[in-house]
Amino acid sequence: MMRFLILSLCLLTLGCGSYPKKADLTPTNLQVNTVSNSYFSDLTKDYVYKAQIEVYGKTFGGLFIIKKIGENHHRVAFTTEMGNKLFDFSFNGDNFMVNYIMDDLNKKMFINILKEDFSALIKEQLAVTGSYQKGNYTIYKTHILNQPYFYFIQNEGLEKIIKTKGGKEKTSFLFQEINDNIADQITIKHQSIKLIIQLKSI
Amino acid sequence: MMFSVYGQTKMSSSQAEALRNLVKEQAETTKTIKSDFIQYKHLDFLSNDIITKGELRFKSPNLVKWAYTEPFEYAVIFKNETLFVDDEGKKSQVDLGSNKMFKQLNQLIIKSVKGDMFDKQEFNIAYYALPHGSEVHFSPKDSKLLEYISSFQIIFSAKGDVEQVKMLEPSGDYTKIEFKQRTLNSRLDDAIFNP
Repeated sequence: MMRFLILSLCLLTLGCGSYPKKADLTPTNLQVNTVSNSYFSDLTKDYVYKAQIEVYGKTFGGLFIIKKIGENHHRVAFTTEMGNKLFDFSFNGDNFMVNYIMDDLNKKMFINILKEDFSALIKEQLAVTGSYQKGNYTIYKTHILNQPYFYFIQNEGLEKIIKTKGGKEKTSFLFQEINDNIADQITIKHQSIKLIIQLKSI
Repeated sequence: MMFSVYGQTKMSSSQAEALRNLVKEQAETTKTIKSDFIQYKHLDFLSNDIITKGELRFKSPNLVKWAYTEPFEYAVIFKNETLFVDDEGKKSQVDLGSNKMFKQLNQLIIKSVKGDMFDKQEFNIAYYALPHGSEVHFSPKDSKLLEYISSFQIIFSAKGDVEQVKMLEPSGDYTKIEFKQRTLNSRLDDAIFNP
């Protein structure tokens, strides 16, 4: 009985363990205050991506558009290839506004998922609350909308953002083919729901 | 009364009738259309319009292939009650019968390709004369459709061919499509409409 209890406790501890432990990240004591994501930081650029969204086995495409229009202020919109607008959001500091969303998509849960994903995608400066090391990666812990996120940096470039919940990886953001401070390929993958957003710069 | 809006002159009712007849006649005798197009997606907050290019193929009465070639490959084929999509090799289909809005948009796309949208039941229609043709604004009467598109604005050549279609959204953003190298009634194999 005692052995079972100890085993259960061990499993419980492991199950609820922190993300750094589970992901095998080694804590470091770097004196760094902020981590930055500059992939959508240029006011003069229109960031336009061809998007493929897979949700519960269904695939649909369109154009994904991000525009920085001021300090901490971005517009994020999605249209079909033929130009029909599906949604258009504003992120201004901590304020989020739906400028437009097509009736069929106007579901609170769906909007919340997009709001969280895109907040993480565009946030430029984030306060660091912890630092770690794994292989060639330097990893910084931060918080967005009160959720813990881990920023994976290699050769001074941001390669990956991991959103966690209950010590588990919940959503990953992968930045690839970086040219001139633009991520030509971005993949947003959810673990708890079957949702993958793939973006290719055009 | 004649007046001018942004350089356009409003047509008299007899001029409007002549245009309607010309476009209808042109639409009836058009069995196939081959055309290149340039699409401009205008969003007010962007510095530049998003430009995409491609080819349009139409075969009477209702086969349409709308294929983007730049800067990505993406094609939609409207065939029977189905919309076939080829997204850089990933193929899928949408049953138009199951989605009223898609069905309505599909019919409008087919109609706007030929320009034959002169339906007073469906639209409030305004006619303007241009130096080398005419421009007609079709505002949907259906309140549901009006949420997506506040007006279709079609520019016709003097011969009654569609040269440009602009779909204006209630926000002021729009999609503008310019047709280039349009050839009518050349041979078009049915096979190009196979998904």
